Amino acid sequence: MEHSYATALWKIIGAGTAPKRAISQLREHLALRGRLALLPRIARAFARHATRERAKNTLTLSVGAQGAAEAKREANALLAGMHIDRHDVETVVDETLVGGWRLEGREYLYDASYKRYLLDIYRRMTNRV
Amino acid sequence: MDSSAVEKIIREIEQFTPQSEVEHVGKVTAVGDGVVAIDGLSKAVMSEIVLFEETKGKKLASAMDTQNELYGLILNLEEDSVRATILGDTSRVSEGMTVKSTGKILSVPSSEELLGRVVNALGEPIDGKGPFKKTTLMPIERQAAGVIFRKSVSVPLATGTKAIDAMIPIGRGQRELIIGDRGTGKTTVAVDAIINQKYEPAETRPICIYVAIGQKESKTARITQQLREEGAMDYTIIVDAPASAPAALQYLAPFSGVAIGEYFMDKGRDVLIIYDDLSKQATAYRQLSLLLRRPPGREAYPGDVFYLHSRLLERACRLSEEKGGGSITALPIIETQEGDVSGYIPTNVISITDGQMFLVTDLFNKGIKPAIDVGISVSRVGSAAQTKAMKAVAGGIKLELAQFRELEAFMQFASDLDKATADRIESGRRMVEVLKQKNGAPIPLEKQVAALYAAGHAFFLDVPVNKVTEVEKQYVDFLDGQYSKALGEIKKTGLLSEDMKKTLNKAMGEFRLAHPELFSLAK
Repeated sequence: MEHSYATALWKIIGAGTAPKRAISQLREHLALRGRLALLPRIARAFARHATRERAKNTLTLSVGAQGAAEAKREANALLAGMHIDRHDVETVVDETLVGGWRLEGREYLYDASYKRYLLDIYRRMTNRV
Repeated sequence: MDSSAVEKIIREIEQFTPQSEVEHVGKVTAVGDGVVAIDGLSKAVMSEIVLFEETKGKKLASAMDTQNELYGLILNLEEDSVRATILGDTSRVSEGMTVKSTGKILSVPSSEELLGRVVNALGEPIDGKGPFKKTTLMPIERQAAGVIFRKSVSVPLATGTKAIDAMIPIGRGQRELIIGDRGTGKTTVAVDAIINQKYEPAETRPICIYVAIGQKESKTARITQQLREEGAMDYTIIVDAPASAPAALQYLAPFSGVAIGEYFMDKGRDVLIIYDDLSKQATAYRQLSLLLRRPPGREAYPGDVFYLHSRLLERACRLSEEKGGGSITALPIIETQEGDVSGYIPTNVISITDGQMFLVTDLFNKGIKPAIDVGISVSRVGSAAQTKAMKAVAGGIKLELAQFRELEAFMQFASDLDKATADRIESGRRMVEVLKQKNGAPIPLEKQVAALYAAGHAFFLDVPVNKVTEVEKQYVDFLDGQYSKALGEIKKTGLLSEDMKKTLNKAMGEFRLAHPELFSLAK
């Protein structure tokens, strides 16, 4: 129940309704139905929903420990081609990548890491593909 | 690793220029009971295969140690997420794991290499005999052949069981349900049908596929061993989704089996497929559907449980000559509870199939094996496929047995019977004995014809009831030795000519003369 209210609240705020107005309308609606007790649970569900949405839209650039500068340059060139501001991208160093980079977010994964490449070779050699 | 392989790897690494590979991905938000909720993957399609990325965050050495890749099957497309079932070990999936779209619909490998092998529901070998070298991928979900590409059932499929071949004949391309309580011999009837195919000429012998769903591993191992000992594994494939396998694999196994069968059917071959059993598949599907939060219906099965079985069994058919003339004959098995055939799943499958054979506990307990109740068993299309020879000898058996059962019930109240009634009862008793058969001992068609011809001509009337099976066996062995040419002709032509009838009459006379001690009731 609270999940549906939180999703609805997220949608009407996303559609342009002022947050303050949206919340007061929700409060009135709940009061009318005698469900005001749901409000704290709706708030928690709303926070969870927001975290999820943020995670969905966040772009993460992981670069290997070796050649990090070059990897960032390559990834930034790709971001420019996609009209994404590099400030919108969270950059982390991932030593397990061996080298190269990996950009993940908004339902896409660009993997140019050495780890992927080496694993591909290993799998081909051991007939695991 | 040999030096050439090492050189190859070094060469590949030297030529490496980092290039990004773009993939459509999602993230696992919840996992439990073999089902995962995935955020993202908005472009995913129904029945698509997704790949769980287990190597993220792992060091290269550890990533290399990862077992085979773990896949999932998308079963629910929701507003902003998808739900998938894990085709493997659930404990390998964790929240936040990246899931990659593959753009592929679930397929299983199929080729002649699968013959004699045991595979799981994903078509992967599980018999320790190594991977397959060259296979063709067959989609597990495929539209059944349309009306214009089909041909009516007209070629018989001999099961080697007298009661079936005589009274409930099965044709190639038919779907005949085997239904009964637990422990009534359903699997035995099906396995005997597979074994019996060894008597078929190699060019017309059907490829047999035994799909074990939710069965004990020991039972499947026993069946595999039996088929191997009988030489039937040469033309048989076993698809195994044991009781210990995840519900998703038990649900998929019959579809994998038929997909493998379609590979052979498309090549013009005949296929016999046994689904043992669809009740367990329905239960697995119910479990999966409830976990996927689909609305439950009658007996908590989802609303599309009928479609689950109809779309599976519709794929059994006989193709027209233009399409190669191949066929898939399906023998689905359904287990009933306390003989109740009016349950949800039994009635569904009864209505889908082209006939059913009921196996009854009472008959089984009386020692009548196979325990087929011929009174309520029926084959709706098989008679068109029955050989003329079998038709000639089997015509009156069903009626005779029905009258015998009626009189047998009446006999319990009547002390004095007229001669005609007493004769009919005696004849019926002997017919029941003739139709009895041992487990794992299918009988070729020509021998069945000879035995039933003898039974229909009062040959066993002078034999004590408890000796009929033994005398029948001796008579058939006698024919095999002395009249093998005649048996061969019945097999070849499928006819019972007047000359042949005379030959069989002569054989019966000779056998009686040679073994008068067996006919001890003769006056």
